[in-house]
Amino acid sequence: MSTAEQAFTVSLVGVGGQGILRAAAIIAHAAVAAGLDVKSSEIKGMSQRGGSVLSTVRFGQRVLSPRSDHADLVIATELLEGLRGLPLLAAGGTMVCAASTRIQPGAVLRREQEYPTELAEQAAARGVRLIALDAEALARQAGNPRTANSVLLGAASALLPFCDDDWQAGLAKSVPPKTLETNLLALRLGREATTSQEARQ
Amino acid sequence: MTGWVGYTHGAMQPQLMSGNEAIAHGAVRAGAGFACGYPGTPSTEIVETAAKLSGIHAQWCVNEKVAVETGVGAALAGVRTLVTMKHVGLNVAMDPFMAVSLAGVNAGLVILSADDPGMHSSQNEQDNRNLARFAKIPLLEPSDSQEAYDFIAAAFELSEEFDTPVLLRTTTRVSHGRGLVVPGEPVELQPRPYTRDISKYVMVPANASKRNHRALQRLEELRARAEVSPLNVIEPGTIDFGIITSGVAYEYAKEAFPDAWFLKLGFSNPLPYQKVLEFYGKVSRVAVVEELDPFLEEQIRALGLPVYGKEYIPAEGELDQDAVRRALEPCLTAEPPARGPVTIPGPQQLAPAPAPALDVKDLPILPVRPPVLCPGCPHRAVFSTLRKRRMVTMGDIGCYTLGALAPLLALDTSLCMGASIGMMAGFNKALGKKAAVGVIGDSTFFHSGITALLDARYNEAEGVVVILDNRTTAMTGQQGHPGTGVHPDNTDGPAIDIVRLCLGLGVRVQTTDPADYKSLEKLVREEVKAPGLSVIVVQSPCILYLPPEKRTVEVVDDNCNLCGLCLAIGCPAIAPLDDTVSILDNCIGCGLCADVCNRDALIMHGLNEMAGV
Repeated sequence: MSTAEQAFTVSLVGVGGQGILRAAAIIAHAAVAAGLDVKSSEIKGMSQRGGSVLSTVRFGQRVLSPRSDHADLVIATELLEGLRGLPLLAAGGTMVCAASTRIQPGAVLRREQEYPTELAEQAAARGVRLIALDAEALARQAGNPRTANSVLLGAASALLPFCDDDWQAGLAKSVPPKTLETNLLALRLGREATTSQEARQ
Repeated sequence: MTGWVGYTHGAMQPQLMSGNEAIAHGAVRAGAGFACGYPGTPSTEIVETAAKLSGIHAQWCVNEKVAVETGVGAALAGVRTLVTMKHVGLNVAMDPFMAVSLAGVNAGLVILSADDPGMHSSQNEQDNRNLARFAKIPLLEPSDSQEAYDFIAAAFELSEEFDTPVLLRTTTRVSHGRGLVVPGEPVELQPRPYTRDISKYVMVPANASKRNHRALQRLEELRARAEVSPLNVIEPGTIDFGIITSGVAYEYAKEAFPDAWFLKLGFSNPLPYQKVLEFYGKVSRVAVVEELDPFLEEQIRALGLPVYGKEYIPAEGELDQDAVRRALEPCLTAEPPARGPVTIPGPQQLAPAPAPALDVKDLPILPVRPPVLCPGCPHRAVFSTLRKRRMVTMGDIGCYTLGALAPLLALDTSLCMGASIGMMAGFNKALGKKAAVGVIGDSTFFHSGITALLDARYNEAEGVVVILDNRTTAMTGQQGHPGTGVHPDNTDGPAIDIVRLCLGLGVRVQTTDPADYKSLEKLVREEVKAPGLSVIVVQSPCILYLPPEKRTVEVVDDNCNLCGLCLAIGCPAIAPLDDTVSILDNCIGCGLCADVCNRDALIMHGLNEMAGV
């Protein structure tokens, strides 16, 4: 958060069906648990039909507008959507991207267009800090490939003012009870992967 | 009579006509070939008169919404079309009325609203001039029978020139009043064949937002036209008193104050600001005389110009010359009101789009990711079949609107909920042949397709209506509807049978399962050729609602020559490789790709087979 008064903006981007709305709900509930004011908004009319999806969560001492095109953090659940989401970032922002997840849109499947893979180069050229990880592999390691978004949240957690209890509360509000432990593990694996990535740099 | 001289009237004798009769005769003279509406005082006699005239087809529709949708279909087919209703009827027709403003027309489309100030035969008073402004479309207001006759031709011309529906607004005294009409020479028309334009006629968000932007531009182009239109005239007076007015109120005010200056607005939306300003240069006192709402008054006041308006003129009921004289007499000798600065809204000066915080100039052009029909969606087989028939396909609103997107490109239109059937009926009626079919989902059919099918049957329209019955309201997230009987709390109520409902209307009904692709193709081929109206109910549950049994597709690489037939169905589970195709993990095994393949390169394997049975 830039100042105590200003809201912190997280935008989540991905493909319809990837669980973007639920991931946004986890962040929103974690913020509530942290005692912060929260607003979120999403465009979900096409969310089940494989279109691009964008959801935004803003939290802080007081949040007014439910949307902003200047995100402090963008979480991308898919590589191409990560590239598409770059312009959503404020200067100095960070992107967390499931860079090994590639879902080919129709035009690529039909070989009308190439699937672009240069997220790292494009982010570097714009001074964007990129945390890229193989979220699916870590999710499988946690025990369920469908916890990939929790891996991404873990990777982003160092940037967010939530303690472990806040995350637990956010997850408990949003995921099926029997998957809570797996999701917590996925979150931890995502955080550790990022820490070790940072340590290497 | 006004100073309006837009058309030459031949050496024909004046005839005494009601405004409604004049509109019907004027429409025929202007080359209109299609008139429809729902009866409602004071609009009824227009369609009745048209029905007696040659050269125009006239029909009653089941309601005003279906009438507008039918009219849009006829106009798209290339025939000038008039749709009539009373003021409250336009409330019923608001959905297509608002949508056709964005989509535009092909041949001229005039929607007539006959308002009823004084509620002689209505449940309310409403000033439908507001709805022309609301819909961003031109508004013409004739004052007497001659203008009713002349303005309908002007309305068709505006409609075609600016690609917009036009609202022609009368009131009881114009529609039912009688006056002399000098007929004009018939208007010569150029043919306007229908041209497919998905970006214009399929109102999915990506298209509609561009059309909305265009409608806003069009409004300013229309305003420029209203500034110079012969329908808007300044009539000089001899006293320092001016009256701005429109419709029958002009006749009252002119009789009350023959010496006053007049700005008579026959083309009253969008308001010609400069014309108003010019008028204020002629006199120091200006009154606005209008029945019902302060429609002109508020817009003129917003420019910063002082007006004698609704504080003197009643905002309810009808006016007449005595009421106008009584109301405005004190203003004639009043101290002219002080004039402050005037502000005419200029062209838009939007702040430049903000530069993104990050430099995105060099970002590559990324492949778009539009929503698509799910792998295994039963709608895909229908679109794959319809494409081959090369019929004009009137679509509707639901997941299946995605059939308009590449590579299927299987829909011509999607206007508003339930519009497909009326548009199909109007299109075919206008051309006198079965050129269009309609595609509508089960929930949309229950929403407002039923009335349109009823109408098509009553009016003996040609066509094939394909009802995509996937047993749910899929696009919004699998909600219940009358066909399933499911309530929001997931309790069950009575379920209505679409087939029996359609049979009850006396329509020929066939059912088919899209999984049997050959039968579906045969049925569509036969019904498109057969005369009359028929319904094909394509029965297959939404795969999100009720996933089918899993089957698998085997690719026989040696048989594949990459002909592209299977790729053309637009399934996100098939991708081409260098010399064959690949079936992806998201395949649910619906088998459509194997059905369209004619080289045995795609082989289905069912559950039994996999189990070795």
